[in-house]
Amino acid sequence: MSDSTAIVRTSLGAAPALLPEGPRRRGPAAMAAGAEQPGRWRSALSSIGKLARTTVFKLTLVYLTVFALFAVLLLGYFAWTTQRLITDQIVATVDAEITGLAEQYRQGGIRRLVIAVDNRSRRAGSNIYLLTTFNGQVLSGNIGSLPSGTMANTGWVETAYNRLDEQDTGAHFALARVFQLPGGFRLMVGRDLEERARLNQVIWSAGRWSAAIVVVLGLAGGFFLTRRVLKRVDAMTDTTRTIMTGDLSGRLPVSGTGDELDRLAENLNSMLERIEALMHGLKEVSDNIAHDLRTPLTRLRNRSEEALRSARSEPEYRAALESTIEESDGLIRTFNALLMIARAESGQARANMSDFDAADSVRDIAELYEPLAEDQGLTLRVEAGAEALVHGNRELLSQALANLLDNAIKYTVPPPLAGDDRVLPDILVKAAVEGERVVLSVGDRGPGIPPEDRSRAVERFVRLEESRSAPGSGLGLSLAAAVARLHGGELMLADNGPGLNASLVLPRAVAGAAAGADSSL
Amino acid sequence: MSRFARTRSDISPATRPDAARADPPEPERGFADDAGRPKPEDRHAGAGTAASLAGDDLRSSDRAMRLLIIEDDRTAADYLAKAFKEVGHIADLAGDGEDGLAQAESGAYDILIVDRMLPRMDGLTMIGRLREQGIQTPALILSALGQVDDRVKGLRAGGDDYLAKPYAFAELLARVEVLARRSQNGGGGRNEEMVYRVGDLELDRLSHRVTRGGEEVILQPREFRLLEYLMKHAGQVVTRTMLLENVWDYHFDPQTNVIDVHVSRLRSKIDKGFEQALLHTVRGAGYMIRDER
Repeated sequence: MSDSTAIVRTSLGAAPALLPEGPRRRGPAAMAAGAEQPGRWRSALSSIGKLARTTVFKLTLVYLTVFALFAVLLLGYFAWTTQRLITDQIVATVDAEITGLAEQYRQGGIRRLVIAVDNRSRRAGSNIYLLTTFNGQVLSGNIGSLPSGTMANTGWVETAYNRLDEQDTGAHFALARVFQLPGGFRLMVGRDLEERARLNQVIWSAGRWSAAIVVVLGLAGGFFLTRRVLKRVDAMTDTTRTIMTGDLSGRLPVSGTGDELDRLAENLNSMLERIEALMHGLKEVSDNIAHDLRTPLTRLRNRSEEALRSARSEPEYRAALESTIEESDGLIRTFNALLMIARAESGQARANMSDFDAADSVRDIAELYEPLAEDQGLTLRVEAGAEALVHGNRELLSQALANLLDNAIKYTVPPPLAGDDRVLPDILVKAAVEGERVVLSVGDRGPGIPPEDRSRAVERFVRLEESRSAPGSGLGLSLAAAVARLHGGELMLADNGPGLNASLVLPRAVAGAAAGADSSL
Repeated sequence: MSRFARTRSDISPATRPDAARADPPEPERGFADDAGRPKPEDRHAGAGTAASLAGDDLRSSDRAMRLLIIEDDRTAADYLAKAFKEVGHIADLAGDGEDGLAQAESGAYDILIVDRMLPRMDGLTMIGRLREQGIQTPALILSALGQVDDRVKGLRAGGDDYLAKPYAFAELLARVEVLARRSQNGGGGRNEEMVYRVGDLELDRLSHRVTRGGEEVILQPREFRLLEYLMKHAGQVVTRTMLLENVWDYHFDPQTNVIDVHVSRLRSKIDKGFEQALLHTVRGAGYMIRDER
């Protein structure tokens, strides 16, 4: 892949270099034709080069070779078998002739045999006969000439010959058997092999043709197949290149056939979607950081400058330094919260999750904040009796709860007449199991959040206009929402009539389920 | 947190910490009597006396400690060394893990302050090597990685405490002194005692009974644990984060001063109606329980 990319780059890079040189050497027209011709050749060459480097092409070649090899083997076996069959037939025919002639010989001796051979020699056909005396004198038969010494040995022999009745002197071949008869007579009975030779020829020419067809079709098929795949891969490469240059909204083409390339494209597309979402999140975060960290940083800087410029006495310097440290502590806090959110959102915290009772966490956090609520003149009640098992990170969940509770205390104004006549607590912290869900909620009697603002309130740094004056990083709800998502749940904001009811809705862990899942792994 | 800058700027040649330590601290200046939020007039108190007190407030151990600071950021290391010297301790520096290991092996240090990311050998490996050799000098790990699992990893590697950067010097000092005291007592010490006593305040760890001047003080379970932790480290500064970690087992920043509220509740139970206050707020650092007499 990377090779083909390099090829394209060099060919693209070479084209502009070619053009300016043209006009100086030749006329503009010549330049146009000349520049186009090498360009075309170059692109043809590079596309062949590209083709030769692709895996599909290599595979096609291998398949083609294997296929051709099998075709040749098959054809060879076929030819061999046919030849054997024909030879067997010839042998059978010759043996039948010999049986006939032997019968004649037994009945009438050599004289009868001579007549029989003579008779048979006159018949049309491809059988050949020759009967000679001990000194090689021909007694009868239809063979005109034979290579010398053919009759010397008895048994089967393949030999060239010429028939007596034939005008042409072209070589014929025959398979024959030579016998030695009493008295030095020798008999040769055989059959012409022309039929077999013709068949062989047919087979071999068929083999040549089919081999040629196999190669041509294989190459063409492979080429077109390769081209088809290459085109799609190239399209993908082009798209990825535009995506790499920064346009993350681009998506790879999917043909809809559901083949391997489609699956690859779909996977890459979902990967791109994830990357785009992450990039979007990153941009949002950096925008928000820029916005909300710059404000305190500016304040910090201005205050220091102001102190340098106008502070006269040591107490004044001290005050300035103290406020500087306070401001930077606030910055660190914001920064920590951002990191925590990022960590929860990236799912890193999933590594150390365990089953624990969320009702316990609710009680602990409520206990931690109860004195603070009381200090503010608020009543806080906890309803977390039954065990509410969740699978998660206790620390993060506690922090999310702490944020919700902190918000509730921060935004709830104590009623003017505090006393025991109040039926409802100002803040109610609850842990409840609802079916397969665990709901951890913090309800307050504060101003609440209007329905239209609820989804926005969860976003990072969003502090609704009415709450601008209250201290805080504006990240509390975002962190709670991120923690809820990390645990496979969500943060719900609802009307508490009046006030806000913020609840972490989490999937309930079944006791022993995690252990069972672990052991099955 | 704001205390450190003051400490540093306050130490002028005229008021050396050694000299300052000789003077008995003045409670009404050094220790705020309310819930720990210093009044504005307190903050801008005259430089001279407040300065010496600030130094003394922060340093709660009786003897000077020998510290080894292993940190590759030279500026940060110098700053720390200077700050420790200002409160009367002796600090040596090492710039990387291998030097730090060599110095820690040879020198007799009361405590090691180890940056986690160091050149040549990282802090955790270094502590691991030391522990392998049986050197148990307490080590406090400083790290830019402040997540709970990083902390767990650090403590598992042999560290005794873990502090995420950026930190307040007061926080670091308090933790270092608690660690040093723990090791001086041979790891046991106060841990072994069944009854903690500070002045006329007594806490029985077995029966969970708390008495002040012979009178029983009724505490909630969490208040008991809070007091137990404070009394275990009597005479030492205990920061809010240390309380949150050790009494509540939380490692996050609760944003609001929840701990202060708990401490002021506890104070109202143990100090109210008594002439002698035992639970003091150390401005900018945390709390300390001690008998002034």
